[in-house]
Amino acid sequence: MVKSMGLETENKEIENNLREIARGLLKEKKVDVIIGYMEGTLPLLSQPIIIDSEEDVEKLIWNNLCYVNLAKYLVPRVPKFVNPEKGNLTVGVISKGCVGRGLIHLASENKINLDEIKIIGIPCNGVVNRQRIEMEIGEKEILEVSVFGDNIIVKGKDFEREFPYDEYMNDLCKTCKIRKPPLVSKSLDLCVGECEEYSNIVDDFSDISEFEALTPEEKWNQITEELSVCTRCYACREACPMCYCNLCFVDQNKPVWFGKTTDLPDVFVYHLIRAMHMAGRCVACGACSLVCPMGIDLNKINRKLEKIVKERFDFTSGLDPDVLPPMVDFKLEDAQEFALEED
Amino acid sequence: MDEKIFAKKDIGKLLEELVPEYKFYAPTKIKGNIAFKEITDVKEIELDYLNSKVPPKDVLFPQKEIIFEYKYEGKDVIIEERKDLEDKILIFGVRPCDAYSFKLLEDFFASGDFQDDIFLKKRENATIIGLGCNTPRQSCFCTSVGGHPFQKESTDVYLSDLGDIFLVEAISDKGKSLVKKLTWLSDAKKADVDKAKDLAKQAEESITTKFNFDLVTKVLDENFEHPVWQEISESCIGCSSCTFLCPTCTCFDVIDENDEYNNRGRRIRIWDTCQSCLYTLETSGHNPRPAKIQRCRNRIMHKFSYYPSNYDCLGCVGCGRCITACPVNNELRLIIDKILEIEEKSGEKVSA
Repeated sequence: MVKSMGLETENKEIENNLREIARGLLKEKKVDVIIGYMEGTLPLLSQPIIIDSEEDVEKLIWNNLCYVNLAKYLVPRVPKFVNPEKGNLTVGVISKGCVGRGLIHLASENKINLDEIKIIGIPCNGVVNRQRIEMEIGEKEILEVSVFGDNIIVKGKDFEREFPYDEYMNDLCKTCKIRKPPLVSKSLDLCVGECEEYSNIVDDFSDISEFEALTPEEKWNQITEELSVCTRCYACREACPMCYCNLCFVDQNKPVWFGKTTDLPDVFVYHLIRAMHMAGRCVACGACSLVCPMGIDLNKINRKLEKIVKERFDFTSGLDPDVLPPMVDFKLEDAQEFALEED
Repeated sequence: MDEKIFAKKDIGKLLEELVPEYKFYAPTKIKGNIAFKEITDVKEIELDYLNSKVPPKDVLFPQKEIIFEYKYEGKDVIIEERKDLEDKILIFGVRPCDAYSFKLLEDFFASGDFQDDIFLKKRENATIIGLGCNTPRQSCFCTSVGGHPFQKESTDVYLSDLGDIFLVEAISDKGKSLVKKLTWLSDAKKADVDKAKDLAKQAEESITTKFNFDLVTKVLDENFEHPVWQEISESCIGCSSCTFLCPTCTCFDVIDENDEYNNRGRRIRIWDTCQSCLYTLETSGHNPRPAKIQRCRNRIMHKFSYYPSNYDCLGCVGCGRCITACPVNNELRLIIDKILEIEEKSGEKVSA
């Protein structure tokens, strides 16, 4: 039997609360299933889990390794929460801020019905940038990881290292302003647990000013170096709650639209077109980078997109299911300097 | 004593001597990940590694391989065959699990009605220098699939890492003639050989993940439609990390890329994966593996049921890459546990 790796953290209180809520929801039959996280079998990992009985509630955990965006398990491409007799099931989702945003944004695109969902809100203080830690430890096996206070403690057979948590959390978590799922006015019933009301989100995007100051050539070099190791396993796409197309543009084969090799132009086209599809939709969960087996960091691209959308449309994704996202909507006053001016 | 030794710091000497004759592949670090690449400068070689992130499979069976190129001349199409297939290849520092994977790849590419000329030519021209695995990981289970962290099978020359020196053993005829040419190697002492034996024993003892795969194969063959597959595929997100980092996955797709502006084109093959929605998709639109449940099952069945029945061996070398790569931790050990649970439960029923 494979043992799971416990991660000792100071999040026990949150974990106890969410179990309490989950147990109640299942007991009172307010939900049929709950999607949450359970302990992983290797350090730096966690496992998404789907439970439908009260006994399994004890398996639910919450810690700084819960990096998968569980909203992904609800998008239409994954139509599994249906009972042949009962019809659609009601699903409880353990939601940190970005999972809540993912669900709400999916509802704004009419992809899920919030009436069939319960957002079990929890306050999130970020997730560990596991790839960065793995890379810094290098060719040594990590056997144990814990997060205590301000430090991530990583242990192996003959080493122990501490990493400051603030520095080694995922980059998008560092700038996150929406740590609890947003409260949705339409349905107060939607959110259980800790949710929060957000008004206008203020963000100076100073974290990417350094990147923005680079010359086009430097940016090109930085991004191509980052993407050069891509194997096109599409873990980024498959983990992304906003990637729900039945057939991804890159998989189109009648006719083939884009090259399928791992040559740089093909890899580049895949990532950049996918990025374009994320404009005004990305909920800044960082799952795409955190699931990459090769450790590719897509966060800078995502942040830049977020900034463009914020500046142009004053829009933050995943806050209100009733506000149409800018790429779905059209307004007469939308800037359109790309179009030719009439004389 | 037949065994030889050379100091790790002399790796440059080895490279210098072999580079004129071989394309010399060795582990190197690319953006933090260990991979096997063609080396020209000794500084690129990374000797301190557990195992490579991307298996050395891709030296002989790269993710993208040109089958041939063609050009138009008037109405004629001129086929340009590959000219580099006669090049001699040397892969240095291959872990025993990965070395054994070359045997499994050969089983696939050489058996049946079709011989894969490209792979087999490359394999024939390749010399594999194996390197014993002193520090298997928690996710390693080579001893359960008939391997060993110091197994020499499928290598031509076998090295053991003794700290500052490598112990050198010539395994195949190819390996013997290579070692003979390296006249600067010194003879090993008995103490060196004994040390290698100790390391092998320690390495074997450090492997804690163990499975009875005979039983796994039996259970799989009897439970194709079992509800456990629903459970196994539930958290899978459907990416291809497991298959693209697997040293034994061989599926590929063939694509013609036409460059009409330059009147030329190429036929290439790229890795395919049973986790993709395009895999086995028929022209009619029908797909016998339409959902994750069939795709997850296919991967497991292929390794632990189809390989045993087609080639009389398991299609897995126990490297554990799929275990560490799975982004949602839906890893092989858990899957095997769930499969074996079917047997345990049915046993309970019989005895009750």
